[in-house]
Amino acid sequence: MGKLSLSIPPAFFPLLVEGPAMAKSVTTMSAVSTSEGLLSTRPEVIQRVRGGPAQAPWGAIMVYLTPALLVYLAFTMYPVVLTFYNSFHVIKPRGAEEYVGLANFITLFTKDPTFWRAVANTMIWATVAPVADVGTGLVLALCLYAKVPFARFFRVAWFTPVLISYVVVGILWMWIYNYDWGIANQFLRTVGLGAWAHSWIGDPATALWALIFAHAWKWAGFNMVVCLAALFALPSEVLEAAELDNCGWFRKLVHIIIPMLRATLLNLLILAFVGKMKVFDLVWIMTRGGPLWSTETVSTYVYKRAFEWNTFDLGYPSAVAAVWFIVVMAFVIGLTWLFRQRERLEY
Amino acid sequence: MYHIKRVIRRWSSVGVLIIGLALGWMSSATAETTLTLWSHEADEAAKVAWAETAAKKFEQANPGVKVKMTWYQKEALNAALKAALRAGQGPDILYMEPDQTEYIDNGFLLPLNDLINWNNVEPWAREAWTHNGKVYGLAKEAYTIELYYNKDWMKKLGVTLPPNGQVSQAEFLQIVKKAAAAGMTPIAQGVGDRPFPGAYLTHEAVLKKLGRADYGKLLDGKLSWKDPRIVEVFTWVKQLVDAGAYPKSFATLKLGESHYYFHTKPGALMFPMGAFYSGRAFVPPDKGGQPENFPLGVMNFAAMDGGACNQCKSLLAGGSFSINAYSKNQKLAGALLSEMATPEMGTLWVSTIFLQTGIKSDPSKVTGKYAAYFRELAAMNKGAEYFIGSPRNLLKGQCAETYVQVVNTAFPGGLLPVDKALDMVNQACYKP
Repeated sequence: MGKLSLSIPPAFFPLLVEGPAMAKSVTTMSAVSTSEGLLSTRPEVIQRVRGGPAQAPWGAIMVYLTPALLVYLAFTMYPVVLTFYNSFHVIKPRGAEEYVGLANFITLFTKDPTFWRAVANTMIWATVAPVADVGTGLVLALCLYAKVPFARFFRVAWFTPVLISYVVVGILWMWIYNYDWGIANQFLRTVGLGAWAHSWIGDPATALWALIFAHAWKWAGFNMVVCLAALFALPSEVLEAAELDNCGWFRKLVHIIIPMLRATLLNLLILAFVGKMKVFDLVWIMTRGGPLWSTETVSTYVYKRAFEWNTFDLGYPSAVAAVWFIVVMAFVIGLTWLFRQRERLEY
Repeated sequence: MYHIKRVIRRWSSVGVLIIGLALGWMSSATAETTLTLWSHEADEAAKVAWAETAAKKFEQANPGVKVKMTWYQKEALNAALKAALRAGQGPDILYMEPDQTEYIDNGFLLPLNDLINWNNVEPWAREAWTHNGKVYGLAKEAYTIELYYNKDWMKKLGVTLPPNGQVSQAEFLQIVKKAAAAGMTPIAQGVGDRPFPGAYLTHEAVLKKLGRADYGKLLDGKLSWKDPRIVEVFTWVKQLVDAGAYPKSFATLKLGESHYYFHTKPGALMFPMGAFYSGRAFVPPDKGGQPENFPLGVMNFAAMDGGACNQCKSLLAGGSFSINAYSKNQKLAGALLSEMATPEMGTLWVSTIFLQTGIKSDPSKVTGKYAAYFRELAAMNKGAEYFIGSPRNLLKGQCAETYVQVVNTAFPGGLLPVDKALDMVNQACYKP
């Protein structure tokens, strides 16, 4: 162990710590270690930790950062910048382009009802689906936490949809929703509710909700696993104290467990929200935005405009993508800010 | 020291040998030219076999040239082509359909005027691919829009069709009502994965009602969709829809599934479809084909009351091959298309795929169990006047998108009333 502590090059300490708080904790660790004879009280080590960025070894930093930075610049920043650039042009194939100023944006905001329909549908997805996904995940996690019979089996069964690709999930649910022989309608007919049999994804009134339901089925397992991990990480003394105070399971859930899971749930909701703002795969496989644009999302609309319409122009779809990028970005920043505010209030 | 020199000399010899072998391999590799072809129709074995026959003949006639074919489903092909061509890549020969004019507008397709012997191609097929005097595609596939029916079920309903297979619009409505009352699905159709089959019945009726000239104006945006004649047609179609003409799974039923629905399970009385029906149906039942001895009949779409051209029907040049304007093997690609554009290959197409073609052919050479089908198809087309193209081919942009959503999907799906449907299409398409 002594060798281990000495083998860490002092130059790397600034990479491992962040700011004064971490420097303090490292110093404390050194002191503890010293008492165990692990780390010597080498002043240069402590000096480097306390010295912080002033002595940052830029060479080492760049060695570690450059590959990731290059990938980020090439595959994230460049496409984003190019999309914004394209949105002010009519883009023709093989590099030809024509500057059109704000024309694409003006058309988008004033003459494109399909875009607004797509925005409305996407917002419904983004607000309803995260609650459904996380809510279902939490309920399932609580079932497992309460050790329902066959909990091990259910844990695997409920998580399995997460492992299935969207293509398979889409086809599966198209079969389930099939009017003639789908299991949903067959079940209704079997229990004498044949009058309720419905073309679930063929009717604009139900198509979007049917898709959101299928999507929740796929993602509930993921949320369940995260919630379950958070549940097992809860301090047992708090729960035991509640039980000693004769706190019922519902009150324990509402007043103790959920508040203590708040950070986890908020993170899951934000992740789900961002994901839903970009939802594409399931919609494309199951309805392609139809019927009558009732399931059109901004992503499917961008794809249609870029690849399905009889045009090679990437300018207009880029304008749609650019606008939506800003909207998603604004929401993410807003939610992150809100989330941080709450954390500060709590502590 | 001597030892070191000897080792260096030995390894140098080995290195020279390796480099020599590598250069030899590379030169032999470059001596062979590979012609690439990307096509739709991955799941249509007969069409794949036809193209491979042409490729084999071509390879025999051109030693040192190989043809590499890649087969896709249509959507995957279109996405791959657009991405590849935008990036300056792409195959030498590509599957195209005449409605994909954006490829012509953007200079991706090579004019074929001097590359193919056009005497071997039907004039209308050449016409379908002609833009500003230049011809951009070889239409190997052509089809009329037909109305197939189950002869046994029609007999069971007590309906006897006239010799020309065309009933009046009132009689057609009665047939639909009778079938629905008898528990049959009157018309098998689905729009789950295609933007066109749901509109067949409507656009054939509109064509008959308006005649070719006004129909052309309508698709060109020069005639209002609120024209009283069109309102009449839509009102009639709405009556069919309300009578339960289409299956409840209409919105999600895919093209392949709708074929199976018609001829196998659960079965339907009628099936409006391009004459490419045969490509999917005339294969063994275990590969999705119609059952042996299926009583397939061909009838005509209903005559419209006061129709300007009740003998009119749509004729479309379908799957075609074009040459990438940026191909480095343009002459070879042209030679391969010439190998396809011969009367022998045309007849092979008709007799193995059982589908019309834009290449001149001799349908009388079709023998065997499907010969009767071809005779019946010819009888139903006797005296027909063709409109070349369809809304799917001719409408663009927002108009095309609205047409697909409204006339292909929502209106026949019973989701829109006549006035709302026409309002939506008119707003998107009518540009006086």
